[in-house]
Amino acid sequence: MVTPIDIIKKKRAEAVNRIISKGYLSTKRVYVGMATCEIAAGSKEVMGEFRQAIANGLTDVYLSQKGCAGRCNLEPTVEVVEEGKIPVKYGKVTPERAREIVERHLKKGEVISEWLI
Amino acid sequence: MKEKFKLTLCDGPSCIHNQSKEIRAALEAELSQHGLADQVSIHLSGCLGMCKQGPILIVNPGFTMYGKVEVADIPNIVKSHLVEGSPVAEKVIREDHLYNRFFRIFGDVDFFGKQMRITLRNCGIIDPENIDDYLSVRGYEALAKVLTDMKPEDVVAEVKKAGLRGRGGAGFPTGLKWEFTANQESDEKYVICNADEGDPGAFMDRSAIEGDPHTVLEGIIIGGYAIGASKGIVYIRAEYPLAIERLEKAIAAAKEHGFLGDNILGSDFSFDIEIRLGAGAFVCGEETALIHSIEGSRGMPRPRPPYPSVSGLFGKPTLINNVESWANIPVIVLDGGDWFSTIGTETSKGTKVFALAGMVHNTGLVEVPMGTTLREIVYDIGGGIPNDKAFKAIQTGGPSGGCLPAEYLDTEIDYESLAKAGSIMGSGGMIVIDEDACMVGLAKFFIEFTQDESCGKCTPCREGTKRMLEILTRITEGKGKEGDIEKLERLGHMIKNASLCGLGQSAPNPVLSTIKNFREEYEEHIRDKKCSAGQCSALLSYVVNDNCVGCGACKRICPVNAVEGTRKEKHVIDQDKCIRCGQCYDVCKFDAITKA
Repeated sequence: MVTPIDIIKKKRAEAVNRIISKGYLSTKRVYVGMATCEIAAGSKEVMGEFRQAIANGLTDVYLSQKGCAGRCNLEPTVEVVEEGKIPVKYGKVTPERAREIVERHLKKGEVISEWLI
Repeated sequence: MKEKFKLTLCDGPSCIHNQSKEIRAALEAELSQHGLADQVSIHLSGCLGMCKQGPILIVNPGFTMYGKVEVADIPNIVKSHLVEGSPVAEKVIREDHLYNRFFRIFGDVDFFGKQMRITLRNCGIIDPENIDDYLSVRGYEALAKVLTDMKPEDVVAEVKKAGLRGRGGAGFPTGLKWEFTANQESDEKYVICNADEGDPGAFMDRSAIEGDPHTVLEGIIIGGYAIGASKGIVYIRAEYPLAIERLEKAIAAAKEHGFLGDNILGSDFSFDIEIRLGAGAFVCGEETALIHSIEGSRGMPRPRPPYPSVSGLFGKPTLINNVESWANIPVIVLDGGDWFSTIGTETSKGTKVFALAGMVHNTGLVEVPMGTTLREIVYDIGGGIPNDKAFKAIQTGGPSGGCLPAEYLDTEIDYESLAKAGSIMGSGGMIVIDEDACMVGLAKFFIEFTQDESCGKCTPCREGTKRMLEILTRITEGKGKEGDIEKLERLGHMIKNASLCGLGQSAPNPVLSTIKNFREEYEEHIRDKKCSAGQCSALLSYVVNDNCVGCGACKRICPVNAVEGTRKEKHVIDQDKCIRCGQCYDVCKFDAITKA
């Protein structure tokens, strides 16, 4: 008999596959904070910049939103996660900073240390 | 040289017994021997909730977790992992725990070091609008486990074993509540999630729902199974549009996957959840008022008993828990009540989320194990008070709580210790106050709030808070009389004892606690007509001092023409005309206006 546990395991495997098919295994994963507080601080515009960059041909990047991690005074926050490296966490990201993160970090691999949390 | 590794060493009380201090010393010695001292940093974390495996050492990048680390292991770990790059496999622990996932991303940031995340474990990590993200982190596995292996009474027993207490603030044992409701015989039962978060400045529930709505839903569904209900309701205030939107999306996705609806995951358990919007009345956070509001009546409390577990929504047995309590449930089911009860203090288990606000460097949402001290929250997590100001007090529990002065900083947080100190746990508001604040003004602010939000049903709360506000207003305007403090105390105790619901019973707390801890400030306001914090505008006077160069800036900005003087000569403020708006003080570039 198929138990609920069996069903959930199958569902999880399917979910992971769907996430992977969206590009989760890209070299860099970018997470933009999108809770009420972050949106109030301007994260929608920041998200827009990253979307634009991908539409303009930026590849090997997985873009996702996330909830509030709790760093209210540093919002909007953006994380760039790369397997095997310390995740890079940017605070107070503006659309201008987002564009620079795209150019310098996502394209050239340079961590912009002065904006780190 | 660029830093290569960040090490996190568990510094919980149990790990300290397990020699984490010696381990740190050994690490430092070993690192410098290999010339790695400037490439590796060592951080201390709060309890990681794995005391049986302690001490724990985490190496980032890579999130390699070593357990039962002994001083003798250090040379090997440093040499083979940090120098040669291959982790010491036999000491690595791989536990598939749900909590503390954030360490993988945020493990190297001090703000997160002392935290332990159970309810917020996915907040800021996963995409809240994508159920696939939640499924990938063992989402709904607790529900599946319950439906596969556990009878409803087993679930209740597990929650009881965990020792979870109501996170809405009162701290009633959650497991008992579940048991009472489960034991009721009825054709229909209800489960309610209280998301009517109303404390000024508190946003724990909003963030939890916005960051991880499925956790809350999963908790509610499990609760429904445990007590034998088929209907769940999330009561959330309409002021939280994004939280509502994400909750709606989450409910739709859960239905699509068969986690809600008929025959959940192929079992014979059926359950549905709907959202009810509140209009933002503070009193509707009180459970009986909340039930009235859902029923379509005016949101007013009623006397208890009967408790909602016996006669709640539409007269049926009803289980009400707060958002944070619900979010703990999937973890308790998957990681076990035994494990959960190892975290925290004797009487209070698990973690508590606080919205840290006010005069600290790092404001934000923090989740700490019970038993963490206020000092650790303010200084280690909050980063201390900005602008070199002195700490004055910490306000917990919002308008129902109290202000604790510096001597309580080493209080270990749990329901009992905070109550003993004269405040309450509350739902999680935590405001840090520096030396610039006027405690009388602060008490007035909270009484203004509760007075405004009083539903008016019972006289002590309706009339009493109004009288307290009048007295406080009088005091802050310099019209205080001898005996006012005693009158406030008498009124306060009367309201506490005679009010119908929690709102009234706790409304005088901000006043009573500030009188207890800062009585001299009240006396100063009443006797000397003075506010040394300089916050009560009616008690201030602005005087021009000898720094004045006669630039005329104050004269131009004064809205009532109270400043007199000719150009390049010292100006004078006419105290009779002055309305103490402070604009001259703000505009003066020469520090020539004294506020006293």
